[in-house]
Amino acid sequence: MSERKVTFTREQIAAYADASGDRNPIHLDDDFARSVGLPGLIAHGMLQMGIAATVAAEAAGGPDRLRRVSVRFAGMVLPGDEVTFSAEPAGDRKLDLKAVNQRGEPVITKATAEYAP
Amino acid sequence: MAAVAGRTYPAVRFEIEPERVEAFARAIGADPAAGVPPTFAAVYSLGMTAPQLFGDEEAAVDFARLLHAEQEFEWARQARVGETVSSRGRVASDTSRRGMRFVSLETETSAVDGGPICRSRALFVIREGAPAS
Repeated sequence: MSERKVTFTREQIAAYADASGDRNPIHLDDDFARSVGLPGLIAHGMLQMGIAATVAAEAAGGPDRLRRVSVRFAGMVLPGDEVTFSAEPAGDRKLDLKAVNQRGEPVITKATAEYAP
Repeated sequence: MAAVAGRTYPAVRFEIEPERVEAFARAIGADPAAGVPPTFAAVYSLGMTAPQLFGDEEAAVDFARLLHAEQEFEWARQARVGETVSSRGRVASDTSRRGMRFVSLETETSAVDGGPICRSRALFVIREGAPAS
């Protein structure tokens, strides 16, 4: 099983916003995020998926082998949250992916990956 | 709001530049020397077509009420640093129930020679009802 624990920071979320081009203010501006009913700025779901896929790629033997990754975004991730990402073998060239925060709540569900030999 | 299932958008080209790939890899904790991270498809595939959907006045997607609920990428192969890819988006479904609108956006990304690279399926959920105050 591959596993990685990540403590999310504003800097990492901002770096992902710059690198991905997704500069939606809900990821960058606490005041804006609160104005639309969020507790504050939140991490991109795609940042969570990116880390989950990186862990999946390690379990698969390299990123070139990944053929499919799918996730459901189930919970918000805020700066300071500590999320444990894992990839576990689940049959023939398949992986089950998990991402669980410091309270034991899954932030990604229905997450699976497939890889090539 | 208008249901726009079946709508397609013009193909968008994107050059996969090494600086962008390295910054992306660092942001997700991947090895910047290991090539294009698979989920860089968020940039070269979904990132090309989602703005077309969000900017489509007839689709009338209320960005402030939008959540990215599900995402799937399937790769025929991983993209390579330096190559130019082309992505074409299509609204696969657009339905409403119980005050929520569900829009599924599919994107096919291929190399300039037409060879397949990635298929992206994004599910967006938009809370309907009174406008945001």
